[in-house]
Amino acid sequence: MSTPTTAPMETPKGRTSGPGRLLITVYAVFAISATARALLQIGTKFNEAPVAYSLSAFAALVYILATISLAKPGAQWAKIATVAICIELVGVLVVGILSLTDPAAFAHASVWSKFGQGYGYIPLLLPIIGLIWLYRHREVK
Amino acid sequence: MTLDAWFIIGAIVGIASTFVCVVAAVMKKKPNDITLLALAAVELFIIAYAIGSLVRLLNGVPLVGEPWEFWGYIFTAAALPVAGFYWAMMERTHWSNYVMGAVGITVVVMMARMAQIWYGTGLSAQAVPALETLRLGLGS
Repeated sequence: MSTPTTAPMETPKGRTSGPGRLLITVYAVFAISATARALLQIGTKFNEAPVAYSLSAFAALVYILATISLAKPGAQWAKIATVAICIELVGVLVVGILSLTDPAAFAHASVWSKFGQGYGYIPLLLPIIGLIWLYRHREVK
Repeated sequence: MTLDAWFIIGAIVGIASTFVCVVAAVMKKKPNDITLLALAAVELFIIAYAIGSLVRLLNGVPLVGEPWEFWGYIFTAAALPVAGFYWAMMERTHWSNYVMGAVGITVVVMMARMAQIWYGTGLSAQAVPALETLRLGLGS
């Protein structure tokens, strides 16, 4: 890698720059893992727990949408990212609470069960960090 | 989950790679030879693991779980350092090292899952819900 002639900013600003790139990376990892997991569940044992596995697929789609919209520049994509991450936050909170109060209904775990315990609670932290990030990089009109 | 030499070496390589990248990022360094080699080490390990697994299979060592699931993990794990490299290089700041650091630890989690697929999880049918909690996609 040669050094570019125009000196880049040390800490670039913007939603898709700097720390944003790490956030997008973590979202991408969750998008890939949730999608692979959902496809596996639906492809091999959908009849065992259609609701739980549909939920897995829904979570996967939310992560994919959040990853893409976070990575795209512009106010429109920022709005889409905000909506996607709000859905993600509601999803992890609702599924998290229900999986504790009604464990029988959530015997087949999803990424959001028990607030994402199986993933080190990252699914709970990710939307909070994501929304803070979007708020701090909102476009002022 | 059986902890074999592959998993232990993979865990050491992955955690060391993440550690090196995070330390460089905390020191506000841009990606350099050391962090790029740390990322390359993860890729080399996955390639070695893929070849080693193929040799073991050809020698008749059993793979308990689904072969396509195992190889799906291998290919995804092999793609991660490459994708992480490109994503990190598109904007070279000290944040690139955090991005590259995310690769190693992700691969360690995937190694845990691959070990489960290879050896089987050894739990009875009654333990399936608990098992599902452990399995969670990449997770263990």
